[in-house]
Amino acid sequence: MTQAAIAIGVLFSVDGPYGHVSRSMLNGAMLAVDEWNSNAKAPLRLVPVVANPGGELQRYARLCQDMLAQGLQHVVGCYTSSSRKEIIPQFEKADALLWYPTHYEGFECSSNVIYTGPVANQHLLPLADYMMEHHGRNAFCVGSNYIWAWENNRILRERLAAAHGRVTAERYFAVGETDFAQVIQAIIKARPAFVFNTLIGVSSYCFLRDFRAACIASGIDQPAVIPVASCTLSEPELEAIGEAAADGHITASVYFSSIEGAENARFVTSYAERYPDGPVACADAEAAYIAVRLLALSLVEARGCTDVDTIKRAVAQVRMAAPQGPVHVDPETLHAALTPRIGRSRKDMGFDILAQAAGPVRPDPYLIWNSPRFWTMGAPPVLRVAS
Amino acid sequence: MRGARVVQNFRGQRGVLWGGAGTSVDILEASLARLGMTLARPAEIDPQDIDAHRDVLLIDGDSPLDATMEGPSGSLLSLAPAIGLVGVEAPSRLKALMDLGVTAFLRKPVHAAAVYAALFLAVNSYNRLRALELDLVEHELRRRGRRAVLKAVVRLMQTTGIDDDEAYAELRRESMRRRMSIEACAAELVAGASSSSADLKTPDLKKWA
Repeated sequence: MTQAAIAIGVLFSVDGPYGHVSRSMLNGAMLAVDEWNSNAKAPLRLVPVVANPGGELQRYARLCQDMLAQGLQHVVGCYTSSSRKEIIPQFEKADALLWYPTHYEGFECSSNVIYTGPVANQHLLPLADYMMEHHGRNAFCVGSNYIWAWENNRILRERLAAAHGRVTAERYFAVGETDFAQVIQAIIKARPAFVFNTLIGVSSYCFLRDFRAACIASGIDQPAVIPVASCTLSEPELEAIGEAAADGHITASVYFSSIEGAENARFVTSYAERYPDGPVACADAEAAYIAVRLLALSLVEARGCTDVDTIKRAVAQVRMAAPQGPVHVDPETLHAALTPRIGRSRKDMGFDILAQAAGPVRPDPYLIWNSPRFWTMGAPPVLRVAS
Repeated sequence: MRGARVVQNFRGQRGVLWGGAGTSVDILEASLARLGMTLARPAEIDPQDIDAHRDVLLIDGDSPLDATMEGPSGSLLSLAPAIGLVGVEAPSRLKALMDLGVTAFLRKPVHAAAVYAALFLAVNSYNRLRALELDLVEHELRRRGRRAVLKAVVRLMQTTGIDDDEAYAELRRESMRRRMSIEACAAELVAGASSSSADLKTPDLKKWA
């Protein structure tokens, strides 16, 4: 039997400020391609066309334009929301499909994007509930100055306010910033129940290292007294942070490499064999793996037809046994139903899973089932007599 | 300003499409469904049933417009928050939509990614403007009532010999006791005093009660 060859774009910034995470995503995508193509019985072969925008928005647009001009109808790629927003108009114009494989802040449902990463009701809301139950109700927010941090902080503020908690402060820094001395002193002085970290890439690693060092210098057991929570921290990032500050961070994710189960064991082993020099398997790698595999299964379901409408109908029919457990795509929102988990990082660069949902949770990108009708104001500041 | 709380979640609300038979609704309907909303056409509902807290009008500017959607007398707004669906960007059509009180525009063909932002702007601008309109009505009523306040203060001064500050304070206390605005209280007192000359000579305001 002759296998049809279908070209797919793979677009990740393996250089630049979030190159570390993107490398994991590229690895996950390429592992899925290789596994698929190694199956001689598969009715079609995937031919990856790989490009690296290096974290520059203009290069995303140019490289994407090249891919679509070549006739590619399916591209797996992007990490930041700004890069996704930059290229969505091109996909809409060409009526092609972007398979977006990472967590994001939601409030989007493009009919030319399949979203295989989690949205707030699958990461941030479970995290907020966990932190309030186990650590306290006031948070200090530190984030990179872009939409991911702004919107997640708003949702957290709302969730805390609903439980009579509050966000003590929100501080934003340019992507790539590495000097956090001032905010670290402010956090130590404020003593919040926890820090909510929406910094990305090198900024996050520097902050976590410096915060741990400052807490040690002040005699504070940071993981126990002021834990840092996030929706992004993954296994390869723990390696980038370094052993001295890698442990004790709370993370919400739909995937940790420590998940038990045959499918994940197979995925982790294959991943380690293919990438012996690392980085290790993580949520971003799994999301990209899921995206490519869902695409391949949808192409089979559509009998090799690459037409976007046909594939969107097909993907709704696909049920996939992913490393994290069962995954399917919600036809109404084109977002994946995924299983939320809460993990705590260890010194050996893995995560202990502290809690997990019973099964896949339906995506709610506009939080229509998980937010109040009215905008919630933060709690009023506590006033003290100044003199 | 009255409390115009910002609405961010539109679940359970209803879009009412005021458009020509040819208006394409597929993307609009699917986009509203993702936001937890339904879409109805005027033929399916009773216009008297339009509720500004539940409904959002989607008015197609390329169709003939009528006064059915106009808001209460004296208001610049429509019956409910309204989005103008803009095909032809001619000033006459944009003005016609604006005259009906739309507070946001949505370009045709409708782009799914623009629906939430248009809805957010339409509903919240409507609520803010409506609150301002109600504030203005109230302020206008009070402004008209100032004449009665002046009259009541002058009469109190004349009948009791107190100065204007004391007279105003007395009037204010009386309005609070009666749980009404100072203007309405003054109007009642002045009207009562006009009908009974004896009251004007009474030094104790409580006797006016």
